[in-house]
Amino acid sequence: MPNEPVGVLIIGAGASGGAFAWSIADLGTSVLCLEQGPWMHQREYPTNFIDWESRSLGPYATNPNVRRLPQDYPVNDSDSPIQPLMFNAVGGSTILWAAHFPRFTPGDFRVRTDDGVADDWPISYQTLEPFYATNDRIMGVSGLAGDPAYPYHEPPLPPIPLGAAGNAVAHGFERLGWHWWPSDSAIISREYEGRSPCINLGSCGSGCTQGAKASTDITYWPLAQRKGVELRTGCRVKEIALGPNGMADGVLYYDAYGVLQEQKAEIVVLACNGIGTPRLLLNSKSARHPDGLANSSGLVGKNLMFHPYALIRGTFKEELNGRRGPGGCTFWSHQFYKTDRSRGFVRGYSYEGTRGSGPAMTALWGMATGRVPWGEAHHEAFERLNGHVAGMVAITEDLPDEANTVTLDPVLKDGHGIPAPKVTYTLSENSRRQLAHAVDRGSEALRAAGAVDVYAEPLMRTAGWHLMGTARMGTDPKLSVVNEWGRAHDVKNLFIIDGSIFVTSAGVNPTSTIQALALYIADSIKKNVAELFA
Amino acid sequence: MTDPAPSLLGDTAFLSALLDTLIPPGKDRPMPGAGSIGIEPAVKELIAADAQAGPAVVAGLEALRGRTPAFASLAPAARASLIEAQAALDPSWARALLRHVYLAYYQHPTVLAALGEPPRPPFPEGFEIEPTDPELLAALQARRT
Repeated sequence: MPNEPVGVLIIGAGASGGAFAWSIADLGTSVLCLEQGPWMHQREYPTNFIDWESRSLGPYATNPNVRRLPQDYPVNDSDSPIQPLMFNAVGGSTILWAAHFPRFTPGDFRVRTDDGVADDWPISYQTLEPFYATNDRIMGVSGLAGDPAYPYHEPPLPPIPLGAAGNAVAHGFERLGWHWWPSDSAIISREYEGRSPCINLGSCGSGCTQGAKASTDITYWPLAQRKGVELRTGCRVKEIALGPNGMADGVLYYDAYGVLQEQKAEIVVLACNGIGTPRLLLNSKSARHPDGLANSSGLVGKNLMFHPYALIRGTFKEELNGRRGPGGCTFWSHQFYKTDRSRGFVRGYSYEGTRGSGPAMTALWGMATGRVPWGEAHHEAFERLNGHVAGMVAITEDLPDEANTVTLDPVLKDGHGIPAPKVTYTLSENSRRQLAHAVDRGSEALRAAGAVDVYAEPLMRTAGWHLMGTARMGTDPKLSVVNEWGRAHDVKNLFIIDGSIFVTSAGVNPTSTIQALALYIADSIKKNVAELFA
Repeated sequence: MTDPAPSLLGDTAFLSALLDTLIPPGKDRPMPGAGSIGIEPAVKELIAADAQAGPAVVAGLEALRGRTPAFASLAPAARASLIEAQAALDPSWARALLRHVYLAYYQHPTVLAALGEPPRPPFPEGFEIEPTDPELLAALQARRT
């Protein structure tokens, strides 16, 4: 039996898809979301088990090439020093994220104007501000109002405690007179909207059993479903179909039984992340769009941006209990965020304070860095690390470069035979200099905090959490894929709402901005619906 | 998954001696030796599940045992020398083996208790963490915009 046509079809139920679905449900038309992954079950998350550290490595690995679950698609990352990470489920990558939740700053939207590089966004911080606020409320954000690095905003919940680990490192920043501030965290510090507060399980990266960490399967999706949005899981979209009028007509997708289905829709919305979205557009070739759908600019899949990450960790004499508490949510620092050309690079980076690891991961990290040998010296060396590690990661702003791409791999395919993406990425000299600077200054901060041993990894390979820029936003159809409210220049009823549409990456985690954009685009569609197809 | 080498991984005396050499009992700490707490099945399971490095780990262990059938009866220092020699032939073997041993050892209830950790899953009890230092909070309050 053919599927009933729907008003709005969303592809992907992650950070942006969930937020968008909740908002667009108010349009009064039927809304359907197709998600290739399943619903997750908190009772199955690793922290229900004593061997939670082992369990975090397998089906909860952040790298789809390691996880290799049926709902995953492979990514050829052999030409990239950074491995792309993602999760495929209702909730998407918010299932495994750290929930560190900074907004972009106003200056992040006018990079060309301020620094003469990359491009300005066609929208501003002020455009997104109300949507940031709505998103903070729905996700449940904890934080401390008044950070001088940002326009004033009030997170709905008080900040997550720094704990001994965060206190130790923050004191280092304080001694140096450097900016730092408790993170906005999408983790609730108090009971909120029927959710129980964080109990410091220490394993945000493999799913929050408590449900204190916001993932859209427990925030937006129940609300969207209550408004009537339909969510079909186990459904992988093969291509977007076009009607004779050149508009998107719907999609072809494989259902949970592997049967190819057709789904008609009046509006098609892509929420598949910065790799999945260009992959789908490039897989949707036709006579009218021989280079892929919505690609008259030639920019689909180009300008891929990650955030190149550096890791800086210190060992302290005092017990820091670092395995307890949200691992990536203590504080942030914007001390080196804005351009200072005397540093040898443009733009900048933020620091995100991090806690330590559980005993097993501490031992493995100690082995990998040569700090914990086997044999007679093992226990003494392990004891120096276990519970005594804290530090930070540096999140550097990656500037767009057309040579950094997502293309279709000529050989690799997913479980349905759909061509898989290939990532080609070169770390820029600007990023390299930022990373080196971040390692030096981060090490200085840790020593100021009292660290007796400092370790740095100047470029983390398994750190491609943030996938951006591959279907950029802009007002000129020759220089961008979507317009200033996410509509494809080439196809009037096709919208993109994920990190693909970022013009620049900023130097902070992107999810807060991805979701604010999704809400803003939904709002724009609702406001413009009368003229949408004119 | 089938047992990759039942004869080797069923050799409890060999495995216990190997594990106790890699992580010996703490001399002045309450830490048990890895060969004394019954983690052999867990190590065996982890090796068997490791499609990438598991076969090489087993092969290296076979070589170690084959070279010195009396491995288990040797003094700890002599056992350590033999493991070092095997690791020198293939450093990745030692890393893969240790990965499995450390995972099994540091998630065992006896070891967690010896470390002062509650020997239970994190959920549902969770943990307490220290509050933000009031001195730090006071400094922030002064800078709020």
